[in-house]
Amino acid sequence: MDKKINTSLFVACQQCDAIYDKPHLKQGQLAKCNRCGSTLIERKVDSIERSFNWSLAGLMLMLPAILLPIMGVTLAGQFHQASLFDCILVLIDRGFFMIACLVFLFAIAVPIVRLAGALYLSYCFKFNKLKPSLLNFFRAYHHLDHWAMLNVFMLGIVVSMYKLLDDTELTINLGLLAFILWLICSTMSAVALDQDYIWDKLERKFPRSCIHGNC
Amino acid sequence: MATAKDKGLALCPKCHKLNPATAEPVICARCHGKFYQRKRNSLQYTLAWNVAALLAFIPANLYPIMIVYQLGIGDEATILSGIGEFIEHGLYPIAIIIFTASIIVPLIKIIGLFVLVYKVHTGIRLKPDKHSKIYHILELLGPWSMLDVFVVALMVTVVELGFVTSVAAGPAINYFTITVIFTMFAANSFDPRLLWDKQTSESVKNSSNTLSEQKDRNDK
Repeated sequence: MDKKINTSLFVACQQCDAIYDKPHLKQGQLAKCNRCGSTLIERKVDSIERSFNWSLAGLMLMLPAILLPIMGVTLAGQFHQASLFDCILVLIDRGFFMIACLVFLFAIAVPIVRLAGALYLSYCFKFNKLKPSLLNFFRAYHHLDHWAMLNVFMLGIVVSMYKLLDDTELTINLGLLAFILWLICSTMSAVALDQDYIWDKLERKFPRSCIHGNC
Repeated sequence: MATAKDKGLALCPKCHKLNPATAEPVICARCHGKFYQRKRNSLQYTLAWNVAALLAFIPANLYPIMIVYQLGIGDEATILSGIGEFIEHGLYPIAIIIFTASIIVPLIKIIGLFVLVYKVHTGIRLKPDKHSKIYHILELLGPWSMLDVFVVALMVTVVELGFVTSVAAGPAINYFTITVIFTMFAANSFDPRLLWDKQTSESVKNSSNTLSEQKDRNDK
């Protein structure tokens, strides 16, 4: 009974724990669980190249998206416009620290860290500079999976624009365009990253015994 | 259907590698993270976050969420009265979006997770395929209830015209964000595999029952 099972020949479903033989997939194919229908493994097309390019573009768009004014209002002859960064400054200025923190975290910090992380990972894979620290790095990267809320913030912008349109004159600035592009880039870079491939490659390169120095 | 648990294997939640579950916590051979075969005390954690979220949801609805100052006179609005104002102004799409994002979604998440925890705990009428789909939807809905917070934050920033009009956030916004974050924690700490565990163990029990019944008949 105590036979050692070669665990790398099997995969288990994350949602329902059903176990399968590991399928051999070509790029662009994905395997689904028979029991609950969730994705088992997915081999993405050109994962490293794509996530490198998307995250690089995302990081370049980051500054305009944060610093350019997103929209402005005119009311009774007065004009005022605000960018994402102003948003945080004003919130701190007026004493709403908690919302300022949340907006900063979910709409600025987490997306930037995720983009930078994806860029670093795909850079290391692209130029073959794999190091053992990547294991910890990629594990930490997964902690942020649920906490990027750029898409929610985008809907927030749309709703508040609609709201303001009702009784003020609204102007839309270049910041909005930059923000939308930033949103697209960060979503695409997260989608393009092929986790199974990266983990497989890291595992083959750094088997566990070698890292602890007893190989 | 065989599960990893039956074979004495555990799936790493971070890198999805199967490890032999020899001692808890398992240390993953690939990413060196510590983890448990099932999320530890999953039901208790989910229940606790859920109760906390439900408690925070009460002040979130009672206190004003946004205060609009026009010529120095403040006009307070709670989440519900804000939605009422939209309907009065005829802005139905926004009213529906805000109502869904800030009332229906958090409530559905809290109630849904309570139901899932109850079903897993008691095993009454548990349909894993259906319930795991429900869980999946609840997990996806999570961040969308932050919508109201972002809208208020944007309104505070953009509508800042000194004495003429300005918008301030009310205390409810803090409670509301707490609700949303706690429901996200609750959904994250729930382990959907528990839904399936119950079913497999019950089907095993049933099959063993039928076997023993057959044996009894044979004996007779």
